[in-house]
Parts: sequence; structure tokens; C-alpha cells
Amino acid sequence: MKKTKTKTEKLHEVSFTLNEKKVSCKIKASVLLLDLIRDVFELKGTKPGCGEGECGACTVLINGAPVNSCLFLAVNADGKNITTIEGLTKSDGSLHPVQESLVAHGAVQCGFCTSGMAMSIKGLMNQYENSHNVPGEIKNGIPSRDEIKKHLEGNLCRCTGYVKIIDAAEAMFKQEQ
Amino acid sequence: MNFEIINPGTTKELLAAVKKFQKENFRFGAGCTDFLMELKKNPSEGLTVINLSQVKDAQFNGLKKSVKGLRMGAMLTAHKIVMNEEIKNKYPVLHNAAESLASTQIRQVATVGGNMCTASPSGDIACALASLQADCELLSTTGKIRNVNINSFFAGLRKTVLKKNEILYGISIPANIKSTKNIFSNFIKVGTRRSMECSVVSLAYHIQTDSNGIIIKAGAAIGASAPTIRFAATACDFLIGKKFKNITQKEKEEFAEKVLSYASPITDIRATAGYRKEVLFNISKSIFE
Amino acid sequence: MIKKLKIIGTPVPKHDAAIRVSGRAIYGHDIVLPGMLHGAILRTEHPSAIIEFIDVSEAKKLSGVICIITADDADVNNIGYKRDHPILKKGEANCTRDEIAAVAAETKEIARKALNLIKVKYKIRKGIYETSEALKESAPQINKFSSGKFENKNIAEKFHYEHGNIEEEKKKSAHIISRKFTLPRMTHACMASSNITASFNNIDKKLLLYSSTQVPFLYQRDMAHALKMNPSDIRVIQPVIGGGFGSKLDMHPFEPICALLSIKTGRPVQLIYSREEEFIASPIRQPMEIELTAGVDKKGNFTFREINIVKDNGAYTSWGATTPFVIMQAFSSLYKIKACRFNSTAVYTNNVFAGSFRGYGNPQATFALERVIDLLADELGMDKAEIRLLNANEKGEATGQGLHYETCGHKECLETVIKKSNYKQHAAHNRQSGRFLHGTGLASMLHVGGGAKIYRSDGCGTILKIDPYGYCTIITGSNEIGQGSETVLAMIASEELGIELKKIKVINTDTDIKPWDVGVHASRTSFVAGNSLLGAIKILKVKLNKKAAELLKTNHSNFDYSDNKIISLKSNDSIALDKVVREMHFSEPNELAIADYFYEPSSKFQDKNFKGNVSGTYAFASQAVEVEVDTYTGNVRVLNVYVAQDVGRVLNPLLLDGQIEGGVVQGIGYALTEELLMKEGKILNPNFHNYKMLTAADVPDIHFFPVETIDKEGPYGAKGVGEASLIPTAAAIANAVCNALDVEILELPITPEKVLAAIAGKKKLKTEKI
Repeated sequence: MKKTKTKTEKLHEVSFTLNEKKVSCKIKASVLLLDLIRDVFELKGTKPGCGEGECGACTVLINGAPVNSCLFLAVNADGKNITTIEGLTKSDGSLHPVQESLVAHGAVQCGFCTSGMAMSIKGLMNQYENSHNVPGEIKNGIPSRDEIKKHLEGNLCRCTGYVKIIDAAEAMFKQEQ
Repeated sequence: MNFEIINPGTTKELLAAVKKFQKENFRFGAGCTDFLMELKKNPSEGLTVINLSQVKDAQFNGLKKSVKGLRMGAMLTAHKIVMNEEIKNKYPVLHNAAESLASTQIRQVATVGGNMCTASPSGDIACALASLQADCELLSTTGKIRNVNINSFFAGLRKTVLKKNEILYGISIPANIKSTKNIFSNFIKVGTRRSMECSVVSLAYHIQTDSNGIIIKAGAAIGASAPTIRFAATACDFLIGKKFKNITQKEKEEFAEKVLSYASPITDIRATAGYRKEVLFNISKSIFE
Repeated sequence: MIKKLKIIGTPVPKHDAAIRVSGRAIYGHDIVLPGMLHGAILRTEHPSAIIEFIDVSEAKKLSGVICIITADDADVNNIGYKRDHPILKKGEANCTRDEIAAVAAETKEIARKALNLIKVKYKIRKGIYETSEALKESAPQINKFSSGKFENKNIAEKFHYEHGNIEEEKKKSAHIISRKFTLPRMTHACMASSNITASFNNIDKKLLLYSSTQVPFLYQRDMAHALKMNPSDIRVIQPVIGGGFGSKLDMHPFEPICALLSIKTGRPVQLIYSREEEFIASPIRQPMEIELTAGVDKKGNFTFREINIVKDNGAYTSWGATTPFVIMQAFSSLYKIKACRFNSTAVYTNNVFAGSFRGYGNPQATFALERVIDLLADELGMDKAEIRLLNANEKGEATGQGLHYETCGHKECLETVIKKSNYKQHAAHNRQSGRFLHGTGLASMLHVGGGAKIYRSDGCGTILKIDPYGYCTIITGSNEIGQGSETVLAMIASEELGIELKKIKVINTDTDIKPWDVGVHASRTSFVAGNSLLGAIKILKVKLNKKAAELLKTNHSNFDYSDNKIISLKSNDSIALDKVVREMHFSEPNELAIADYFYEPSSKFQDKNFKGNVSGTYAFASQAVEVEVDTYTGNVRVLNVYVAQDVGRVLNPLLLDGQIEGGVVQGIGYALTEELLMKEGKILNPNFHNYKMLTAADVPDIHFFPVETIDKEGPYGAKGVGEASLIPTAAAIANAVCNALDVEILELPITPEKVLAAIAGKKKLKTEKI
């Protein structure tokens, strides 16, 4: 059990996997995952959109599931597997199918929501692929257009009107099938 | 935003921590979504967070089916509720409520216990659980469990009956009655958008009928209509013995009036009290349409 | 003869989409400079108050605080379109955004902490939050820097326009309708909050700004005026911009404040708004009340429009005050209209001030105008589609205001959406009973499509070069705010020079390098920057042709540029483009493959009566919207939006779709869900939770049908498209809701609560009639 009782702020050691690399650092209790990723690990692709879990620009994957990093305590990253937008692209710079589809469908305008959108779509892909392995969980077919729309509810976009983003996700799922 | 944190790894450590901090400024952190929002706005001096998300205890985190019904650990996430087949099939109201909560991202971390203990009048999962007449297990630092029906759990606006040395440990929902043939169960959430809404008004209902279509058990609860979520007991009683499909226009309205009698909504920036009442009446009727 | 196009008209993905989708694009939020400090601004606690004193002594003691400034420390000029806006406020606060003090500190946390330690003593005054109150004789003067040239001290700006004989046309009218419409505050809510990084070098006294402005050259000049500097000592570099929509047309106080902090400290300073600050302190769409009286003769021809608008200017005056330029255009020239009289007054209040927002007053005007057309049709008993078709604008028309429609797709747009949406069938069968009611609505719009000659020049410069390896660099004055203008320019260069897209670079972010341009607004960039690039290409080709002829040993200049080659159309001989450039550079007379061009649209300044052909061309659009109204909750669900838009020519269907869909969805938000709520000068919903932008789950099916009219002024015939798509959406939705419910909607947004109230009002009317 890790605990603290000193007056000066205690630092907590967290170790986790970030984009397939083991990392660890010492942080204050109140540090948010978003700030840890951007300021300590200098991965600026995860965007600060609202800081209140409403816009999804800061979405990252924690153990494969999409989470708002602005409302996630960095201490709880301990032991987790975290993927940011930088981890979606392969090390040789080739794009993930999610990213390729977003590009091809014209789903990127100003791009500030795009990292979060890409991570959310990847999260849906993971959910669809994993649900078949979890006993007691609903097993769906490939996500329908309405399911994609519902899934992206937590990612605001001001430029595109969402249509091209939804198109990109839909096309990718069809291709993956 | 500044605070200290302790991260118990087991329930025993958790209870020890709660005991130790009885005289200090502490709060529980579950999914931390509401909690961090609140803290960002109003930082609290000298606060210690007792972090619940690293506690390894299947009874606290998991879900278990039994003949009596379904028991959910307080740390079960909204996402797990949405994905559960049993809940989707047998308690659609809970599935729908969990699915309408905030966003995909929030549901990954938001917990059933958090939704209950925030005691917001517009809590979606809590409203569904009220319609299901769930039972709450409150675990104290002594290790004893006190059972409280959900109707008695909410003590007022953002207040629960939890004592400082207690924690919400689990929530059980009773199994549907054996002779139940059909279930009419849904969560109606009214807001401006189709997603990302905090209910302007909500209605959770779970109605069971027998092989003749007669209502044998009914649960209905309202959200965002009173200082707490409220179970509309008289409205439910009114339905017992009636044939669901044959409910007349007059009976529908009588039911809606009875539901409405539990409402004492406020006017805020999201809606006026008058709107909330009118809509609550309308959606109550709509159950039978 | 136009040759067959290879690239133009194809769905080329955005130039740097791969960079953006990989999280590698650098936005203002991502910039880190050595020694950089973090800035924060203290704003007033009260929208109207006397500031008795400001005490920064405690804050200064905080470790890590480097600099604190108040109005007393700032030797600066006022900013804003009317120069009525001090960047730091002294003596009084007039608006909830007012900047009282600013801090630069080692970290964001310390800067925020320091703000809490600044003590300000306010004497609260009764604020003025209604324009009617502000216009009373007894009201105090709200802005002491106001021009004072109008009859009332609280009038910030006025516009008057008229054409035709109103009294005559009134006599000819069979029906006259008069209504008052109320339009809400809508905010841009760009996904990236406002930001700036300022770096003043106190050795050479030069100021470098990483700024998200949409108008870098006007901004450079405004900044210089504010800081009493020479504009050329200020270099503006635009990082990748996370949304604009007009919000970055004005320079806002936080920008010179951040520059001042850097000047005072000699260190780089970064200032980034929190989301709450973004809602409180960034501009909005003008709220206004529009009184519209309009007539129609017995055959259905529109006769006149008479308009009185009162705009809530807020405490200071921004570019938003000039929206009547566009508003009057809609009233004077959308549909054929014989007489028009237009008055608008912007009134100072203690509310937040407006800025410019995609559409620039046009969505407000179009809402009023198109609602009244439906009412006139009802009075006449005429079909709502027919009345519009009868009055639609036509090619060759010169409107009362002097706009020349050299091309005009208005009628075709209307016909397209009427047909594609099955409008007539729907309109006839929409009446139904039950909980869910369906309705269909139509609306059109007119907007500038070839820039707008408001500023002294509406031009754009281009420098074009080809390097010895055959790569092309376009240095353009225009800039990219997400809309895809870089891509369109690269496509034009590729089309004309036969260079593959991956060999084309667009440089557009640095005022020290790029030639002048008036900025991204008025849907002008593809049109103006596109024409400018074409001009530069033409000049460069003369040079290239000359060298190619020499190398190919021919004396004609009839060449085709394709596959990175210059090909003789006579002999089919060809030579690699890079070789031609090398020969230009390295053999006599040794010249660069470079050209520059400044394009100024053929449009004219309007005279003092606002008459004249203000744009190079005009865009038209029509939309038909189907809605479903839940009479139990009042929720309006948009089911389908049919859009037909005169875009001149489709340059890139992928990017065009994106502009249309994005605009329509913003338009739906304006119609149904978005409103910045204010009470007593304070904003009640400064967050995404209660300021309700649509989510992916709310998006209807959008059916887009481009109408190509090939305007001779446009690049390949194209017109501007950026703003048009959101302009008629709210009007069409309002018409659809009215059609579904048989009620009158006079106000936006059409919230569920207003819908139920309208239904209840109708029931009451019915019972009274019985």
C-alpha cells in the first residue's frame, strides 16, 4: 500500500507502458494523465480541448479503451498500457488504417479534434475485436453507422460536421471485415 | 488543484485507510470524472483522496449473477454494465441508462458507485437502479455491512446516508419474478441533444407482466425532477393488476399524474420547472404508447 | 478553350492531413521556447464597476512570478475597429471580459495562483444589459472612447441604405407582413482555445508572435498601433490553427497583453485560454433584433422590404459592427426586390461584445427574410416553392444595390433541392397527428463569392518558384485555418505546371516572407489566392517557355506541362522541367525560375450609399430541410438536409463536401441548440456541457448537390464556398418546424422549451377561436 503523510507534497512513482515502451516517473498526486503525456513525455499529439471531459480531443487508449486523459489521474496509469496518437503511427511513419481512412475521406480539417477522433475509432475497433473473447459480454457484428455515431458522441468537432469522420470509420470497418 | 492520495490495493487496506482518516479531510476517488471536475473548480485545502481504483477485490469491482438477482460491485464501470448481456436482456432500463451516461470515454471509467454516491438528482444509472428497487451494501471500517434500500440511500441533494466510516460496497438488483413473461423496461432521458446530456428530466421504468399480460410488478423512478431521484411508488401500485396493453387514455394520464406528484423540479439554465413537469407528464404517458 | 483538367475537380485529400492525423502538427498549444514564461489574465468580477484600486503587491511576492502589469504599466493605444477598446482597463470595468491585470510566471500554476493574490476593489454599478435601456436619455455613456458622432451617446455604429420607391411598392402590395425576430449569441467554440506565444528580443527590439490570427497583415498593423511599434518590427508566424470561423479576424486584448509581458520581461511568454475563458472572452455572433416588413403583389412578386435592426454591440466595437454590409446585401439583393430601406444601429451595452462569425450577419438576415417569405406565401395561398422560384435571382441581373450577377445559380439551386427533397410531396402530406410531426422547410442565401472590397485592397500576393530539382514552392499571402486552401493552391500549381503534388510546397505562415494579403474571411481564399497563383504561373511560364523553346530548338511557345515535363504540342518533343530550371539558373543569362504576382479582384468599392459591385462574384445556395418534432418533449430532430449551392466550379469535391457539411452542422446548432446565455452581463454556460454544440450522434443525412455556373472571374470558374453552407440552414429549419406544427417561430435557437410553448400557444388560440 502506497501512502503519504508528509507535509511536503509526496511524489508517487508510476510505471506504465507508453506506446509500447516501458516508462516510469515520479509525480504529484494531482497530476493528470494529459499533462503527464504532454509536458513530461513531450507527446504533443494528445490535445487539450476543454479539460472537462466534454470534447474528447485528449482521448488516449488505456488498456485499449478510449479515455479522456484530462479527467484521469496519472497515478492510476500505474501498470497500465497506454497508447497515444503517436503510438498509432508505426515507427517507420506508416499510418494506421484508422488514420489512413481519415485522410482518404477528407475527415481532417483544422485537425485539433483529429487525434482524439482517431483514438476513439481505434477504441471501437478494439472493443469490437475483444468483445468476442469476453464471456458474458454482448457480441456485436461490425459497428453500424448509428453505432459509430453513438460511439463518437464524446468527441466534438467544429469543422467537419462529423460526416466525413463517420464515413472514414465506416469504411475502415468494412475493409477490416 | 492540489491534494494527496493514498492508493489501497486491497479492501482491508482500504478500510484501514478510511479508519485512519476519520478526523481528516478526505474523499473517495472512484472513476474520478465528476470528482476531478468539482476539484478543478473548487480546490479543497489539505485534501487526501482515497483512491478506490487500485483496490483488487472482485466483490468491489465485479458483477455476479445469482438466483436472487444480480450483484454489482460499486466499482463496476458504466461500460461494463453496457456490455453485459444479462443486464441488456433482463434489465434493459439499466443497460439503457448506463448507455446514455455522458460519453464512451467517460463510461470507461465512471462507476456505478460513483454515480450513486454523487447523489445527483440527474444520475442516470442511479435512476435506473431506483426503478429496479436495488439494495445497497454499505461497508463500514468495522468490516460490517449495512443494507439500505435505494429509496433510503439518498438523503437529499447530493447527500447520501453513508456515514464517514462507510463506503458503498455493492448494489444488488432483485431478479425478475419467475412468472414474468414480458418486461417493459426503458430509460427515457430528455435533453437538447441526443448525446452528452445531463438529463433535463428522466424516467426509468421496469414493468413485468405475466402470461396474460397483467402487470405483476412495476418500478418507476424519476430523475432531475426533485432534489433526489425518486421512486414513484403510488404510480407503480396503480399499475398492478392492470393489463399493460389495455391501459386506457384515462389510466395513462392518471399514472402520469401520479408520477408527477413526486416531482418538485427547479428552474435552472437547462430548463424551467414548468417544462420539466409538462415533459415528465408526457413521457410518463408515452410508456404505454 | 479550356483544356481537360487532370487534378482540378478530383478528390485530393488535404495537403498535410497525414501530419495532422498523426498528431505531428504544431499548434500554438504545443510551442515551447527556451526560457518561456506563462501568462494569465485577471478579468473583472463585475460587468459594470468602478475600479477603485488594484493591489498586486502580494502577487508580486509569490516565488516564480516575473512580471505583473496593469493599465498603469502599459503605454499603449486602444484597439478595435473603432479604437474604443483599451487592452487593459483603467478606472472602470464595462464587460465581464475586461482585462484588469496580467501576470507572467515560470509555470502556469504559479501564474494562476498569482491572479488569486491580486486584490481589486470594485464599486459595483448598475449595468446596462438591454439596448432599449442604453438608448434612454438617462443612461450613462457606456464607452467613454466612443466616437460620439451619433445622436445618442450609446450608439456605436449606424448604417442606412435604400433603393427603389418604398411608398409606391407598398401601394402595389396585395399583402404586407411585419414581424420582429430575435437572434441569439452564438460562439465559435473552436476546438483549440485562443493562444499566443510572444517573443520580444530586447537586443534587436524585434517582436516575434506565434499567433492564430486569420488576418496576419492587418494584425501586424493593429499590433504595431497598439504597442506603438513599427509594423515591420513585428513578425507574425502562424502555427497550425485549430479552427477560425471568423473568431480570429479581430485582434483581441490578450494578444497585445502577451506581447507586453514579453517586452517587459525580455523572455518569451505564452498565453493559452482555458475552455471557460474561451467561452467568456472570445467573440460571438452578433445578437440582434430585426424588424422586417415585406410586401408581395397579388401575383406573388416581392415588392419591398423595410428593415430596422438593433444590434447589441456590447461594451466595445469589433469588426462585428460592420456586419450590416453583408446583412443589407441579403435584404437588398436576395430574390428580386424592387425597393428596400434598411437601417441598423449598434448599441453599446455592458454585455460581451460580438466579433465576426462565418456568415457575417447573413444567417441572421436570412432567418428573418426567409421566415417572412413563408408568411407571405401563406397569406397569398401560394406554394412556398413556387413563390421562391418566381422571385429567384437570375443571371445578368443587376440588383438595386448594384451587385452584378454575371453568373447566378439561384433558380437551379432552388429547383434542385425542391426536386431532390421531394419537397412538394412532403409539403402536401406533412400534416399528421400523433406524437411525432414532420415538417419541411426551404431557404436560400446570397453571399459574396469573390471576396469583398471593404478594406483598401482585397488583394493577395503570390511568389512562385521552381527549384533545380523540379520542386515547386508557392509562397502565398493567404493562410490556412483548416479549410484546405493550401491543398487547392497545390492542386492549381500541379494542374498548370504538371508537377506532381508531393513536389509542391506551400509557404503561408510568416509575414516576414510572404507577400501581402488581406486575410481569410468573406469566403475569399480559393478565389483570390487561386487567381493570384494563376497570375504568377502565367508569368513564370513565359520564362520557362522561353528556355524550353531554346533547349528544344523551336521558336514557338505552344507547350503542355505534364508529368514533370514541358512538352512541345507541335513536335511532341519534351524536356524535363527540372532540367529547364537548371539551365535557367546555370547558363546565361542566369535567371531564377521565380515569379510574383499581386491579384486584385475586379470588384468595386461601394459608394457612400453602399451601392456598387462589391465582390468579384456571388454565391447562391438553397437548402431544404426535413424535421421531426416530438410534441411530447419539444425536441426537433433534423432528418435530412438537401443542399444545392452555386460553387462556380468544384475544385476539390472532398474538401468542398467538408465545407458544406461542417457549415450545415454549425447551422443546425444555431437553429436548435447553441446559445451563450447571459444574465446581468455574466455568461451562464461557459462550458461545452451547457453550451450545446451538436455531437456526431445528432448529425442528420446531408445531401449535397453542387451547381456549377463557371464564373469567368473565378479560378477555373470557382466561387467562394466557405460561409454559404451555414447561412440558410437555420431559416430552413425554422420554416420546417413551423410547417410541422403550424406555429410561428420568431426566435432562435428553437429549443424544446420554446417548441412546447409554441404548441401550447396554438392550442390556446384554437380554443379561443372556438
